[in-house]
Amino acid sequence: MKRFFKIVVFVCMFLYSGHSFAQGSRDKVAELRVSFISKKLEMTNSESEKFWPVYNEYNDKIKAIKRNLRQSYKKGVDNLSDGEAEELYQLDIKSKKAEAEIHEQYAEKIKAIIGAKKTVKLRVAEEEFKIEIIKNIKDKSD
Amino acid sequence: MKTKNKIGKVLIFIGTIFLFNTEIKSQANFDSLKIKLPKHYFNTVINLDSYRKAKQDFTDTTDFLAKRLKSYGIKQFSASFYTPLFTDITEGKGKGITKSTHVLLTGNFLLLQPKFSGISQHTLLKTGIGIRCIFNSGKKGVWFVDASPFITKDITYVSKGYFRAASTIVYSHNPNEKFNWRIGITKSFMWGNKNYWPFLGIRIGKLDKVNLSIQFPRSINFNIPVGPKLTMSLYTKPQGGMYNFSNRDSLYYISNDATFSYTRYELNTGFRADVRVSNRFNFYVATGFCSKNNVTFYSETANKSRPRLPYKKYFFSENLGPTLFFNAGLVFKFGKSRSFYNEKNMYDVMDLNNTIGVGDNNQSAGNPQIPITPKVKKNLNLSSIQDLIDYNEF
Repeated sequence: MKRFFKIVVFVCMFLYSGHSFAQGSRDKVAELRVSFISKKLEMTNSESEKFWPVYNEYNDKIKAIKRNLRQSYKKGVDNLSDGEAEELYQLDIKSKKAEAEIHEQYAEKIKAIIGAKKTVKLRVAEEEFKIEIIKNIKDKSD
Repeated sequence: MKTKNKIGKVLIFIGTIFLFNTEIKSQANFDSLKIKLPKHYFNTVINLDSYRKAKQDFTDTTDFLAKRLKSYGIKQFSASFYTPLFTDITEGKGKGITKSTHVLLTGNFLLLQPKFSGISQHTLLKTGIGIRCIFNSGKKGVWFVDASPFITKDITYVSKGYFRAASTIVYSHNPNEKFNWRIGITKSFMWGNKNYWPFLGIRIGKLDKVNLSIQFPRSINFNIPVGPKLTMSLYTKPQGGMYNFSNRDSLYYISNDATFSYTRYELNTGFRADVRVSNRFNFYVATGFCSKNNVTFYSETANKSRPRLPYKKYFFSENLGPTLFFNAGLVFKFGKSRSFYNEKNMYDVMDLNNTIGVGDNNQSAGNPQIPITPKVKKNLNLSSIQDLIDYNEF
């Protein structure tokens, strides 16, 4: 039993050390954004019930597109062949188009739930949150 | 007239094609990227749990079995898991309501060593695979159904195992995110016998904030999230079960039964700390007092006439005084899952899944999947937020 526990502790430490800290921070920022937006929007219970499942789905899709693109760029761009560069370029364009599609599709759904006024407020809140984050980073680097 | 009808039909046909094409077109670029989105809301979670209860002497000097057993303590280890098998999400057309159905496979493996110093050491096994289904109506209600069949066996000596099954059906209602009530029925062995209890629950306070949760017959919890990494809880809950026990030591002497049923329950009241180390790993420690320490031996032969009812005829039963207990566990999360920030019904789905722990051991992995909103913005680095900000915004 003691040996088993040692193995478990070892596995656990391995998982912990191997864990991507960037992922943890990203989740933390996503949680902060959700909190920021929910404060700004002041939705009714009924709106909130319908809005968050749609908004979470929208975010999951946008996040997946960006992650996919980021992983493709991770390999590095200095030693790319012409073919690989063309492929990456096309992926970049496609990703931007996909983002625009998803944005349009979900903006319509969100508008149907919370109305045009709050949809505009949502966009403003998202921008304000970005500014908050940028300020935070700038403050740290100064 | 005929021509008008024809034109109408053609227009409807073209309109349908146009609508269909628009639907396809609206996802065209996203689909062409072949990105795999997480299917399930649940991660696969593995929970390793260790539980000890301090040894106590039997003080009853009149019962010869008590004198023979001398003292009693508990050492228990369990490994349990749940993993999503199937998730169905339905969007109510035009209503903006998202219903979801979740089917999970559960499993548990428990090794229990009741420490009687007067007889040989027994190791009891309880293991089973179960299934649970959770339906989120998308409005205010969540349905929960769980079936947990298991086998108990004394693995120290050759003995035949017993097949038993625990089950629960609960309806959970969320009038708002600060209040919840639950009603249902549960068949459980955690109170030291085969019991059918009504399930009655109430929660005051948000699940990701300070809350008081009373879930009869399972637990009473007062949860205080200290930060995104730490949740403190004051709680009281029963811990126990009904296990197959080899009669090698001839504790049951009336007939030649090879095994009998050893049952136990204790009411644990204490303090628990859940630490979220990372997205993939949590751990918890808990300690406090055990009260109502009961140990009872039932003969299977004597209770043969009550296959579906609580056993009545016991040949040994003792209640010991309060003692200390210690509980610690590791929780591992695997795989990617869909986001459900601020979805009160999904928070409730997660809470139901953890309140009614895997198997029938009344152990909870905490609520590792419910996000606790961070209060302080710190340790934000540029690489961590690429998803949120474009470089040209600087």
